[in-house]
This record gives sequence, structure tokens and C-alpha cells, in this order.
Amino acid sequence: MTAPSKLVSLPEAIRNHLPDGSTVFIGGFGHAVPFASAHEFIRQGKKKLTLCRAGTDILFDQAIAAGCVSKVIFGYIGNPGVGLAHSFSRALAEGRIEMEEWTNFSMVLRLHAARLGVPFLPADILKAGDIAGGSIDVRPVTCPYTGKLLSAIPALKPDVALIHAQRADEAGNIQFWGIDGDTREGALASDTVIATVEEIVPTETIRKSPERTMIPAHRVASVSLVPGGAHPSYVQDYYGRDDAHFAEYDKISRKPETMDAYLESHIRGVADRAAYLKLFEPARIEALGLAGKAGSAA
Amino acid sequence: MPAETKQEDLNLIVATALSLKNGETCFVGIGVPSLAAMLAKRTHAPDLVLIYESGAIDSNPAIPPLSTGSPCIPDSSLMIGDCLDVFGDLQAGRIDVGLLSAAQVDKYGNLNSTVIGDYRKPKLRMVGSGGAHDIETLAPRTLILMPHEPRRFVAFVDFITSPGTRGRDGKAYDRPAGAGPSELITGRGRFHFAEGVLTLVETFDPFGKAGALEGFTVDVAVDPKCREGVVFPEATRALAAELSA
Repeated sequence: MTAPSKLVSLPEAIRNHLPDGSTVFIGGFGHAVPFASAHEFIRQGKKKLTLCRAGTDILFDQAIAAGCVSKVIFGYIGNPGVGLAHSFSRALAEGRIEMEEWTNFSMVLRLHAARLGVPFLPADILKAGDIAGGSIDVRPVTCPYTGKLLSAIPALKPDVALIHAQRADEAGNIQFWGIDGDTREGALASDTVIATVEEIVPTETIRKSPERTMIPAHRVASVSLVPGGAHPSYVQDYYGRDDAHFAEYDKISRKPETMDAYLESHIRGVADRAAYLKLFEPARIEALGLAGKAGSAA
Repeated sequence: MPAETKQEDLNLIVATALSLKNGETCFVGIGVPSLAAMLAKRTHAPDLVLIYESGAIDSNPAIPPLSTGSPCIPDSSLMIGDCLDVFGDLQAGRIDVGLLSAAQVDKYGNLNSTVIGDYRKPKLRMVGSGGAHDIETLAPRTLILMPHEPRRFVAFVDFITSPGTRGRDGKAYDRPAGAGPSELITGRGRFHFAEGVLTLVETFDPFGKAGALEGFTVDVAVDPKCREGVVFPEATRALAAELSA
């Protein structure tokens, strides 16, 4: 028997599976960040989202600038290797956003606890310093066997996970390799997984290397074919990281006017990923290995 | 860049590299920590195991990575695990040393990478902990790397992102024996945390004790046996310059 197809367009996936007010885990630890999915929810004007993951990057900043986000839950928030999250800082200063600030390890444990179906996991962190008691309440727990005092790190179960991966079959078996970070934990902790991939392959291809399947079809709500969907991050074995764009974004995001112009020109004003990739110089797209993924129409 | 600043930058990288021992496992961050670990691996410590929080294990990046997930990390690693693998190893005491930088540090080695000013109404909102809190809390040895910028050395950090040896009340933190900050390195000197307090133990050529403490407004002890004007091997300095170019 053939499994039912979960292959849909990205606009349809976001419309059907990402309601306003959702808590959304964003996949991708520097690698395979689902920018296309975020740009689509920005285009659809999603509201009051809570975004979460351990180490965030400029995807969070863009979604905050676009007014889609009412809360962020993170261990790190910035532009990795470049600088700060300027739109986030403005939103925070203007009281437009709430936050829960943890550490990267505690964020991973929060997702892992949800994945395991337990209310918390003990850890030997967040007993000293100002993070506990800053924006979060971390309660102590005593080991019933040894008497050791630990922190109880509460489970975080997102409603939806947005994941970008190398490939999947139409049934939605998602194959992902390379740097994972907390992506697998976050995806498997979430109730609904919306995946985008570089390639759709036959189920036979999946069967030949099932160890590469990170999320099985029965845990996936939809899969959409979006080549180049992780730019300006990268996809192992498909294309490189556009380091220059992270530096450009630092300049763009410093001022609300240039940030708004970017949202219009690069996100709201383009129909899809192919049109977005057309906005970059062909030489750059070629050098990254993204040629052929940009739209051919002017 | 002024020649003196450049020399200090190289001193910081070289001095940190020399604190890493061959065969150790090292939890590495982005920036100077990566440069120092890469330098150690290319010189006296070829069997240093570099571990990045993204889950990459035994990496040897060809260029300094911009993010712990950057392609040069998986391209040079012997294993790609995940965050749970590497933070789990860290908590289980299976990683020897962590390298950290921050915006502010105090004499107890408390680090701030979260806010300048008040937490609720910050003058500057920064990136937060990432893995820094976890590393300084759990690593048996933590090396703190700071440029010699006196404004970064404060009586008490505005926000304790990563706990050093003692809290605001001056009481030692409750943590496993030996864990916590072990050294702080600047471009001008090396400090230990004798009795939990920042103590100058070595200065780097061309700086003496006065140079290593120049502009500091925070109390720093000086070890009576402090070595002055340590000179680093020229070849190591040259390689540090090449890596950071």
C-alpha cells in the first residue's frame, strides 16, 4: 500500500498547520535554518507567535521586525559571529515582546523533556548567577537517591516545528544530515512538524539509508519542496553559507527604516523562494552553489 | 590597527593556546576561543579534541568559523553529534576545559554577556548566555579570554550570565570542587583565581605589571612570584597572525 502524500505547497502548509498564537520551534543550528518557511509566515501576516530554540539567528530578528512574534524563548539571541539582534532589542525596549531567557543546555533539556514526555529533567546548572530569577523561574529539585540539589528544567512542548532538510519522500519521511544542534530534539518534541526540503526522492531512496531519516512520516504534517529554502544559511552537500549576507543584515537591521525596506523588498514583496533568490547577484548565487534554484522569470 | 593592539591580540591567542594541553578535550566558542584552540592544535597540541556546542566533535576548522554550525566545522570533524551529546558530556565531567569571552568580567570571574545596565531596561541588550553559563558552571577548567579594555573589568558585572567563583555576597558558589574559572588571559597578562580572586601571575612582552593593570579600576591582586615580560615563540606568534588575518 502506498502511504498518503503529504506533499503540499509551502503557502498551503503554513496556512493549514501554523495558526496564530502558536508556539513554534525553529529548526537549524546555523545549518539548514528554515528561512523560506519563516518568510512565508511573514507574508501571511501570522500574529502572536512564540518562537523558540536554543541558539537563534537572524530569522528570529526578521520575524520580530515583521510583527509576527509576541514572545521568544531562547538560550542565545543574535547574529552569530557578527553581532546583536537589533530588531529584537528595539522590540524589547519598546515593550512589544516578551522573553524567556535560558541557556543553550537548558533549552535542549527543555525540548528533550517534552520529547520524552516527562515534565522536567534535572540538571546541575542555573543554581547560581542571574539567569534564574531574571526572566525565568527555575525551581530546585532534590535527588531522591543521593540528596543532591539540582535544577528542575521544565519541559517545553512546541505546537509546531519548522524544519528544513536535505530530502524527503512524498509521504514525509524527512532525511537530514550535517549539523543538527537541537533540531531533532525540537522537531520530535513538537506536536506538528512542517518540513521544507531541497529534494523529493522516491521512498526507495529513503529505504536505502533509513539511518538518515530524522523525522518519520507519521510525525510530519506536511512536506514542501523549496530548493534554496535555507539561504542565507546552508545545507550540507547542497549549498554554502552566505556569510556576507549575515554581515549585510547587521547593517540593514540597525535602523527600522532600512529593516522595513528589507522586509518589503526581500520577504513581503516576493512571491516565493525562487523570486527571493533572484534578488541576489547571480555570481554570488553561483558561488554558493544555489544556481538553478533562483527563478528564471524576471 | 595600531601595532600595540595587534601585538596584544596575538598575545591573547598565543597565551591561551599555550594553556591547552595535548590530549585534552576542549569546549570551544566562536572568535578568539576558536583561534586559540586552532593554534594549539597546529602547534604543541595536535591531539587536542575541539568540541563545538552545535554537536561537532574533534574538529579542526581550516578557517575561523563564524558560527558553531558553520560549514568549516562539519567539514573538519570526526563526529557530528548534537547539542545533547556535547552538553551531556560537559555535565558528566568528560570535557576538560572550556574557553569563554564576555563583555564584562569582575574580580570573581563572573561573566556578563547579557545586558549592560539594568536587566529590565538595558542600555545595551546583548546575546545572552548561549552555552557560556553551562560551560563556566560545569567545565573542570574554564579559561576566560578578554582583550585589555579596562572598562570591561568591573567591580561587579551588571548581570551574572556565567557564575565565577563567588556571588555578590562574597560567598563561594556551591559547585563541584575544582570547577569554575581557572585563568583569565588578556593581551597583556595572565591571571589566576587564587582564593577565588583575580590575581596577576604573568605578564607578556612588552608589558610589565603596571602595563598589565593599566587603567584597571577594579581590585586585582598581584602574585609575589609574578613573572614579567614573558616572550612567546616567534613561530607560534607568526602562525597566530596567519590564522587571525
